[in-house]
Order: sequence, then C-alpha cells, then structure tokens
Amino acid sequence: MNKKTNIVGLLQRSSVPIMFVIICALCIPIAGLSPSYLINEIVTRMGRNSFLILSLLVPIMAGMGLNFGMTLGAMAGEIGLILVSDWQIVGIPGMVLAMIISVPNSVLLGFFCGKILNMAKGREMITSYIISYFMNGVYQLVVLYLMGSIIPIAHTSIKLPRGYGIRNTVSLLSMRQKLDNLIPLTIRGVKIPVMTFIIIALLCLVIIWFRRTKLGQDMRAVGQDLEVARDAGINVERTRILSVIISTVLAGIGMVIYLQNMGNIATYSSHSQIGMFCIAALLVGGASVDKASIGNVFLGVVLFHLMFIVAPRAGAYITGDSMIGEYFRVFVSYAVITVALIMYETNKRRAKSLAGAQLAAEQEAQK
Amino acid sequence: MKSKRGLLAKLLVLAAVIAIAAAMFVIGRGHTVYFDNKEVKAEDGTVYKPFYKIEVYVGDERVAKLSEGDRGAYSVMGQKLKVTLHLTVKKDAKKQGSAVTFEIPYNMDGIIYNIPALLQGAPEEVYMEEFVPTPVQEDEDADVVVTDEFAMPSEDE
Repeated sequence: MNKKTNIVGLLQRSSVPIMFVIICALCIPIAGLSPSYLINEIVTRMGRNSFLILSLLVPIMAGMGLNFGMTLGAMAGEIGLILVSDWQIVGIPGMVLAMIISVPNSVLLGFFCGKILNMAKGREMITSYIISYFMNGVYQLVVLYLMGSIIPIAHTSIKLPRGYGIRNTVSLLSMRQKLDNLIPLTIRGVKIPVMTFIIIALLCLVIIWFRRTKLGQDMRAVGQDLEVARDAGINVERTRILSVIISTVLAGIGMVIYLQNMGNIATYSSHSQIGMFCIAALLVGGASVDKASIGNVFLGVVLFHLMFIVAPRAGAYITGDSMIGEYFRVFVSYAVITVALIMYETNKRRAKSLAGAQLAAEQEAQK
Repeated sequence: MKSKRGLLAKLLVLAAVIAIAAAMFVIGRGHTVYFDNKEVKAEDGTVYKPFYKIEVYVGDERVAKLSEGDRGAYSVMGQKLKVTLHLTVKKDAKKQGSAVTFEIPYNMDGIIYNIPALLQGAPEEVYMEEFVPTPVQEDEDADVVVTDEFAMPSEDE
C-alpha cells in the first residue's frame, strides 16, 4: 500500500516533466529534424540558459518562491553590456567588465526587491512580478532618456538617431560566443561550449556548498517555517533579502553569458522574456514553488527547449502553419507556470486543512 | 578585532575587483586596424607609392590581401598588434617578409596604417591616421522604440 502511494506521489510530482516528455516524443518524429541538429541546439541552449535558471534556486530555498525579480538582474547585466559595448571593450575582458558593472546594480536592485518582498510576506511571487514591471519603467527611463544625454554614450551605432537613448538592438558581435569558443571542442558535429559548462558546473558546486554553510542552513530554515526560524535566532528579514540579492547578482551574470551567446541585445525586451522562460523551464524540470534542485534545472532546460525547437516544425507539418507551433510554445510556457502555481496553492490548502482536521481530532480525543 | 579583520577582507576584495575591472579596460580595448596599400603624399611633397601586393598575416592567419589601392581591416584587442607582411613590391619581384609591431593608441576606435609609407620610413603622421566613419544621416523615426506593451491606440490612429 505504502509502495503504491509512493509511486502515485512520485507520478503526481513528476506529472509536468512526464507531460513534456510525451509532447516531445510525439513532436520529434513529426518535426523531422535530424538528431545531430537537435543535440546541437540543446547543448547550445543548455550553455545559454542554465546559469540564469540556477539563479532561481536560492530564493526557492529561502521559501520565497519563484523569483520573477530575476528580471532586475537581467536589466543590470544588459546595462553593463551596453556600457561595455560603447567603451569598445571586447571579447572575454568585455564580458568580465560587464559582469563587474552589473554586480553593484544587481545588489542595489536585489536589496530594494528584498526589502519590498519582506513587506509582502506570503505574496512574494506576485509582488516580485509587479516589481519587475515597475523596474522595467525605471530601466527604460535610464536607457531611453538618460543614456546619451546624461550618461555619456559616444557611438552612433548604439545611440538612437535622435541623439540620446539606446537603439532597439545593440550588437555584441565583438564578444559573440567568445566564452563558448574559449575551449573549442566538437564531438561528431556537436559543438560543446566547454568553458560555459565549466562555469555552470562551478556554480552548481557553489550552490551545493552554499546549502551547507551557516547562511544556507538559515535560508532553508526560513524556507521551512518563518516563525520557527525567527525563534531559533535567525534574522529572517536579512536572510530573505540576502537570498534575493544573491539571485539577482547571479541573474545579472547569467544574462551576460546568455547575451554573449546570442550576439545581440534586444534592449527593451530581452529581460522581460527571460524571467518567464527561465521560470517555465525550471517548472518543466519538475520543480515546484517551494522545492527545486539542480537536476530540475537541467531536465527543465532539455525538455522545455526541446519543445521550443520541435513544436513550430511539428505545428507547421500538422496544420500547414508554423505560427501554430509558435503559439503553442508560448501558450505552454504560461500554462506550465499557471499549473504550478495552482498546484502549489492547492497543496498548501490541503496541507492546512489536513493539519486543521488533525488538530480537531486531537482536541476531540482529549475531551 | 574580528570586525576590523572582516572590514579589511571586504576592502581587499573590493580593491581586487576594481583592479580586475581596470585591467579589463586596458587589455580588452578593441580597435579596428585598417591596412592601406594606397599612394600617400607627405607635407614635404614626398610621394609614397603603393606596392604591387601585400599580404598581412596575424600568426598563421592571413587577415588581408591588398592589391594597389586596396584597404583591409582587422579587429584587434589590446594596444599591440604583431603582423607579418608578405610584400611583392613590383609585379615580377620576389616576395619579401617583414615583421611589424603596431602600437595602437588607446583612444582610437579605428586606425589606418599606410603600409608602403610605414615601410619606406615615412613619419608617423604620414603612415598613421585615425579612422573617422562618415556620419550617416538617419531619419529620427528610423528606429522606433515601443516600450508600452499595454498602449491603447489613440483616436486619431
């Protein structure tokens, strides 16, 4: 009986990845893409996205759910890259400099976000989502009006024709895939971004190590129960703020890695899309609002992006219109987030009502 | 004592990060180097004629092959560029090799080197010149930025 319940529980917990495995299994033969093409694409996307998605793990550990505020870090990364492009710092040094510039901005934005999230305990996800919209306005003010007028921008290739503000697209050709190609390796036609994978592996090790540190333990305690953690002498507010700051800083660095792979910045849209897709990928990997692991990140990247690659082709084959596949993948991204949020809320309520029933039964027995 | 040590460690980390950023500024500065094989006239009236053919190598990679009147370009990181020039001075002449190191000024994005003038011992102001791109007149509405995803169309649209 217990074994059966375990299997049912496991299937329930893995329902989202299983669903995606089925979707991909159905779409791959229809799409008709060669295995080497698919593997190449998946490997590239793993290098491109994993760091960003890993940045979501720390706030989940601290019980703050999915950090939609990672967009703030992405904005900081973009600002770093825009400045570095204007200063004509190229290649790996350009990337490193952009990361260094992004860090103080990310810390500041993360602190601000963490402070607000502490005022909205229990509603962190929606609050961080709205903060990302609010900060997007500030970002636009900086990038669209202050850059070129107050913040010096010299190059006309970056500036809008009116003389201030940044163009819709900024080219990163001078640092395109420099990190990915730093240690060149091709296995049977599949290009492996070795250096990017090394950095991602290092971050995984840091996350594993971090969980065992005092701060990591504090975060887990805060994530399990705020009040118990507070009674144990943990500074709950500070711990939560730190978790958001760490996530935002990692997102900023991750955005630089992501954009060096892409080779250009969509100045006004890159950051807003990235938060949604990273969160969706993590959830597809089997994570939930209150529990996520490194394994979920990689499984999520593979399944989510496999669906991203094959869905338009499969859609085009079935309906004769490739836009159907495009709609499908966007629809699935949002749907998976919605389902995860509903499941989280349902489970929370179920646990609450179970605890209530148990308490009532105990009180009844005492009478 | 402990807090002093902590503060010192933080300051050291900050100093290290600033030092890395400064180093990146210097070693990561990108330039576009243009190689000219064109006739150039110095202020004193000396004319430096182009060669029949110039091949520019960076390491083993050929980055430019210039006939008379040609210009080649190469993007470089840092302020030093070592090249090997394979020169054919006249049509039937034998190819000659020459190693040249260019010291690129930090403040210049693009820089033009006139190879024949350089090799014939012309002064710096003759063989080296900053590349200034010709300004392109663009319509102000050429790159329209849409930032309001929720914008409602106005009545006159």
